[in-house]
Amino acid sequence: MIDFELNTQQRMLKEALHDMGKSVIRPQSLGWDRQKTIDLAFLRNFYMMSQALRGENNPMEDFNEGPKNRDPGKPVQTNRTAAMGAEELAWADASIMLSLPGPGLGGPPIRASGTPEQKERFFSIFRDMSDELRWGAYGLTEPGAGSDVAAIRTSCKRDGDAYILNGRKCYITMGGRASWVVIFATVDPALGRAGHRAFVVEKGTPGFFVGKIEEKMGLRANETAELVLEDCRVPAANLLGGEEKYQTKEGFMTAMKTFDNTRPLVAAMACGIGRAAYEYARDFVKDNYVLGRPIPRYSAIAERLARVGRNLEAARILTWKAVWMADHHLPNAKEASMSKALAGQAAIWACIEAIEICGAHGTLAEDHALLEKWFRDIKVYDIFEGTGQIQRIVISKRLLTDLRAF
Amino acid sequence: MISFEPTEDQKLITGTVSDFAKSTLAPRAREFEAAQAVSAEARRAVHELGLSLAAIPEALGGQGLGLITATMINEELAYGDPAAPFGLPGFGAYLIAAQELGSDEQAKALIAPFAEPSAHDRFGAVAWSERKPNRDRAGFVTTAKKVSGGYELTGAKAFVGNADLAESLIVFAQVDEKAGWNGVGAFVVDKQNPGLRVAGRHQTLGLECGHFGEIVLEAAKVSDGGRLEGRGDFIAACTRFFAKYSLIVAARQVGLARLAFDVSREYCDIRKAFGKPIGHFQDIAFTLADRHMDAESARELVRRGAWTWDAGKDLDKCLLATAQAVAHAHQVAMRCADDAVQLHGGAGFMRDVIVEKLMRDAKQMALAGATAEQMDQLAAAVELGLPLDPALIWPTPETQAVLT
Repeated sequence: MIDFELNTQQRMLKEALHDMGKSVIRPQSLGWDRQKTIDLAFLRNFYMMSQALRGENNPMEDFNEGPKNRDPGKPVQTNRTAAMGAEELAWADASIMLSLPGPGLGGPPIRASGTPEQKERFFSIFRDMSDELRWGAYGLTEPGAGSDVAAIRTSCKRDGDAYILNGRKCYITMGGRASWVVIFATVDPALGRAGHRAFVVEKGTPGFFVGKIEEKMGLRANETAELVLEDCRVPAANLLGGEEKYQTKEGFMTAMKTFDNTRPLVAAMACGIGRAAYEYARDFVKDNYVLGRPIPRYSAIAERLARVGRNLEAARILTWKAVWMADHHLPNAKEASMSKALAGQAAIWACIEAIEICGAHGTLAEDHALLEKWFRDIKVYDIFEGTGQIQRIVISKRLLTDLRAF
Repeated sequence: MISFEPTEDQKLITGTVSDFAKSTLAPRAREFEAAQAVSAEARRAVHELGLSLAAIPEALGGQGLGLITATMINEELAYGDPAAPFGLPGFGAYLIAAQELGSDEQAKALIAPFAEPSAHDRFGAVAWSERKPNRDRAGFVTTAKKVSGGYELTGAKAFVGNADLAESLIVFAQVDEKAGWNGVGAFVVDKQNPGLRVAGRHQTLGLECGHFGEIVLEAAKVSDGGRLEGRGDFIAACTRFFAKYSLIVAARQVGLARLAFDVSREYCDIRKAFGKPIGHFQDIAFTLADRHMDAESARELVRRGAWTWDAGKDLDKCLLATAQAVAHAHQVAMRCADDAVQLHGGAGFMRDVIVEKLMRDAKQMALAGATAEQMDQLAAAVELGLPLDPALIWPTPETQAVLT
């Protein structure tokens, strides 16, 4: 039955995050942005709280195969609930979601391709973080290979019981502090995707360095690092899934598999930031204009506001559809890309319009503390996890017959 | 629980309607356009499917299937021929107006004739718009003067769907001239009324089979029982009428958008230029991707709008979701139809291909029920917590005159 009502768990999660966002997170948001990091004390509290919320569920189940004894054909609610949480948390502050302790984007490839031994080894460090917070990271992008993932040049060569890695990775979320990073490398660039290998490279491995920590337009509180591999010797046991996994195109598919489930979450976050800006402009208009009569100037503002609102709504409905499909184990690569493409665009537009509606004030951090920040934060949502153009490639390949590449 | 899955009944119904629309309406779209009417045979076939009263509650003599199902039916019909639903008896504004504006007794009496076996030839109409705004005061030029035992209606109405076919019309007129848009009333006028004259038919840009025309009222007498008072709150009832009717029109726009997209996609697959299908050029492929996102999001937003009514949400929530869905659907349909013509190149401009008709129909349909602009004003009013002033949120001739 068609239904758009959140279930009890989703509603409670949304309400809890909303309240915390309003009273705890937002007042600190701009400070974190300026100091370029989220307070560890806050992250620790947030982590402890989310552990408490999990209750009896073993958190390891989420990192490994998902809860056990579950009929794989049976629909779940996980993706829908995650989307609700992601939107609400991003509504409060965009950087938190990307800075939360845990395996981060490094989780999905290990879950999808790791051997049982690797899963245990790399996920177990997150089992109990009450002493120290830990992160995982995902290293794919290089200075010369962004959207064109197949063009990566970081090399790997077998040497006895290890591989020697050489290359540079950039724009790695939480890369500077990660305990390990899933690094994609190639045995031979001429082989294209077939030559790709994924390694879990651990912090402190000789030859593995953190380069510069990037200065960014937005999401400043979230760490973005450059990673350097110089004759870095990685044990063969850290080759994700083992050598036999790479006899097919699987290696590359591992990189891509990560995205079908994460794109709608990025879309949900974009919806949250866009909604924040929209609500801000709405309240600003409420407080500063008299809109009771159809005076042309005012109705133009009302129309602008309404357009922003409905474009966000259109993005959210596609996001919900993508996560609903994921929960029902339906292939959703097209829908995931659609949600991400539309949400990135709608939310950027929402932030631009919100500033425009508020006038010059909107650009001042002292008067409108967070609006100018959201404007800076949102742009990257049409860039990371596949640019808007990449999403359209994914979508159009699924619309047109025999379109394999442009 | 969030779900995008229609019920088994809804799947069955949409499947049947979809088959019918593709096999019966689609091949005759040009024929209906030329005849400026849906053929009697097609009307009979639709009537036999028994779906025209889908959204009307059972208590009022309808099928009580709800607004979600009604939007699905209208979407599928429009996928066959977007103009056809405007020329089908029972699918127009009349039954929704009867349901929302009449008392239970009035609504039952007005709706019952449409359930009869012979109803495929029976049309109703809603006469709302006027050609020009009233320059002297707010409200309609057409007046309803209180006389002994009833009202006398005098004036002229325009952009009335099925004006010349309707056996019964719901006519809006000014009852209280001083009260502006708060002083409007609705009246049931029979075709036989000696004071009613069909003045002529509009030649329109699109939706030719909608039979849009004008009527003139010359002291047309309506009894007290023929006034529809909206169960005590006429303004709210009228707002609900426009919201629901516009949502049905929006569902047709979704059908049109999907059709325009599918026709374009097929063309981009087979049309070759520079040695490959034109869909294999990024600019074309990305355009298709954008229009697909448009059509899919509009479809789900329309269903979400319908869901708020079916789930009995607060009026504000229903109006906001409806306004967002309708405004989005109108713009989406126009974009999809425009791009469909564009992607076909010169061929799109020729009447051999359906897309030129879709583009005309999309623009015409954007002016049926409340427009995107009016819906945006409604959404903003709800979001800003402003009083729902009829002058602002109804599609009055003062802003944009609309087809009903």
